[in-house]
Amino acid sequence: MSGVLVLIEQVGGEVAAISRELLGKGKELAAALGGPLSAVVVGGDVSAVAAKVVALGADTVYTVADAALAVYTTDGYVAAAQAAVAAAQPALILSGATFQARDLGAALAADLDAGLVVDVTDLQVAGGAITAARPSHGGNVVNAYSFTPGKVVVALVRKQSFAEATGGAGGTVKALALPATTIRTQVASVAPKSGAVNLTDAAIIATGGRGLGDKDNYYKLIPKLAEALGGAYGASRAVVDAGWVPYEHQVGQTGKTVSPKLYVAAGVSGAIQHLAGMRTSRNIVAINKDPEAPIFRVATFGLVGDVNEVLPLLTDELKRRLGR
Amino acid sequence: MHILVCLKQVPRDNSVKINADLSVNADGIEKIINLFDEYAIEEGIVWYEKHGGKLTILSLGTDEWVEQIRRALAMGATDSVLLKDPSFANLDTLAAAKVVAAAVRKLGDVDLILTGRNSTDDESGAFAPALARTLGWPQLTYVGKVLDVDAAGKKVTVERHLEAVVETVSAGLPAVVSVIKDINNPRYPSLLKIKKVAKITPPVWTAADLGVSGLASATTITNRVPPPSRPKGEVIDGPDAAAKVKKLVDKLLENQII
Ligand SMILES: Cc1cc2nc3c(=O)[nH]c(=O)nc-3n(C[C@H](O)[C@H](O)[C@H](O)COP(=O)(O)OP(=O)(O)OC[C@H]3O[C@@H](n4cnc5c(N)ncnc54)[C@H](O)[C@@H]3O)c2cc1C
Ligand SMILES: Nc1ncnc2c1ncn2[C@@H]1O[C@H](COP(=O)(O)O)[C@@H](O)[C@H]1O
Repeated sequence: MSGVLVLIEQVGGEVAAISRELLGKGKELAAALGGPLSAVVVGGDVSAVAAKVVALGADTVYTVADAALAVYTTDGYVAAAQAAVAAAQPALILSGATFQARDLGAALAADLDAGLVVDVTDLQVAGGAITAARPSHGGNVVNAYSFTPGKVVVALVRKQSFAEATGGAGGTVKALALPATTIRTQVASVAPKSGAVNLTDAAIIATGGRGLGDKDNYYKLIPKLAEALGGAYGASRAVVDAGWVPYEHQVGQTGKTVSPKLYVAAGVSGAIQHLAGMRTSRNIVAINKDPEAPIFRVATFGLVGDVNEVLPLLTDELKRRLGR
Repeated sequence: MHILVCLKQVPRDNSVKINADLSVNADGIEKIINLFDEYAIEEGIVWYEKHGGKLTILSLGTDEWVEQIRRALAMGATDSVLLKDPSFANLDTLAAAKVVAAAVRKLGDVDLILTGRNSTDDESGAFAPALARTLGWPQLTYVGKVLDVDAAGKKVTVERHLEAVVETVSAGLPAVVSVIKDINNPRYPSLLKIKKVAKITPPVWTAADLGVSGLASATTITNRVPPPSRPKGEVIDGPDAAAKVKKLVDKLLENQII
């Protein structure tokens, strides 16, 4: 066992940003472990992406291409990943932490009887031993992990944890066959979500809470603010449960965890379960009529005021100044 | 049909403290059923009511969790089992899934296992895949809609709600399904039912009962700290709302945030 294997995610023929991060960090960790940096690209068609991964500095890029892998299935992708694990014999396997990556990474880790850590934000190697850090309890606790020697480590990493690989000396591509496997799930369709709101990817999020008063007022003010900022709109659980906004907009402990460059919370009190989903945002603007609202404790900029007065002014001012 | 729901107890909020031995201290915080598990229970009830059979609640926990198990029974579950043993304390997710898998094998006739998407305290989300792989069953994770549980045809068909797509997928039974929040509206148990189950104590299965020994986690928590605190914020003052808004936008532009 030596070196690092990165499970590559592709989006529309490109290497996903998280995979570029993992190749960057993986290079450093592989050197510290005294082994190569390998990567595996799995899918129906993989050659274009494999070439891009080589250019990002992987020593060996394994490909597993098969018509059966054109759509994701746990069985198919675990079998493909297993082929790469058998070829690379890594000490550390790195993957992202999206829903699909968790479905795969946790299943692979269970099959390998590995040391598994999910939602990792930091990884280190010292004296040949791997350590990892990850938040739990809604970000209120940061845990440090060590692993039982001799066990392969599977780390599913949170977006924006490491610097992306910029390039490196080219390695080689090795094609592997998909091992014989029974795929026990049948995928009937894969449909893009209507009005897709990929909150987790948004650089700017404007969130409205119960302080918006009612559904009509929420829609009158929050999506417009988000649009003026060029971002997505979010919601507190209170307004999702009230039926104002669909669940996929919910931020917090039981919604999405987001970490945008700018998070605007308007009419949101800042309950601990809400903070769990957004406290790592780089900048937080809080707008609330109650100066004692807990949201102000995490705010980079706090503005005490009535959303009905402040938000229309803010949207207009942003449009004017940003020329939108 | 025998449906099994995995239930975890969690603190209502995460304002927890860290003990000297690095365990998490949630003393004084109300304990509840992990929110996603409440949806799993409701979904279990729906299909149990359709097909009959049994709906079992399974927890790997402590006596403290019985209150939550009773709530699930009051909602409509028919049976329960508590897995409890000193050797189960502090197991990581993969090791815990092995214990639960042993219990599922002991039950022998389970057709469908429902779990939550993740627990709101540990937030690993790895339990359902780990359990499925250990049992050798197919897994369907992040399910936002169960379209059909076909008892005769031994098949389950679901929608998996991922970040940007919805997959319609089916699998043969037995299978493991993990559910997200908007799948249903969990019912409130009636007072009468709460009273009825108040004295039920779930049977306890120990490591010896399950024939599991030499349990070990491959991960060890070596440190736990609170998150780094955020830099002190700035209050945006001004004579009126318009002045405050202008000042705020100035700040956002100056700091190249927008
Ligand atoms: C197990 C569990 C999980 C949870 N998960 C989540 C989660 O994922 N996400 C989440 O958000 N919550 C979650 N919650 C709920 C959380 O505890 C709070 O109830 C919720 O976040 C409150 O939403 P809110 O801030 O919109 O509403 P409130 O708490 O009602 O706050 C409204 C705020 O608006 C302000 N306001 C009112 N009128 C105006 C006005 N005209 N102008 C300006 N400000 C105004 C008020 O001062 C107040 O601060 C969870 C709770 C539990 C128990
Ligand atoms: N100790 C446990 N006992 C029973 N079910 C559990 C336990 N731990 C996790 N689960 C189930 O697995 C789901 C995901 O938990 P986790 O992977 O720990 O985030 C939970 O929602 C429960 O349904």
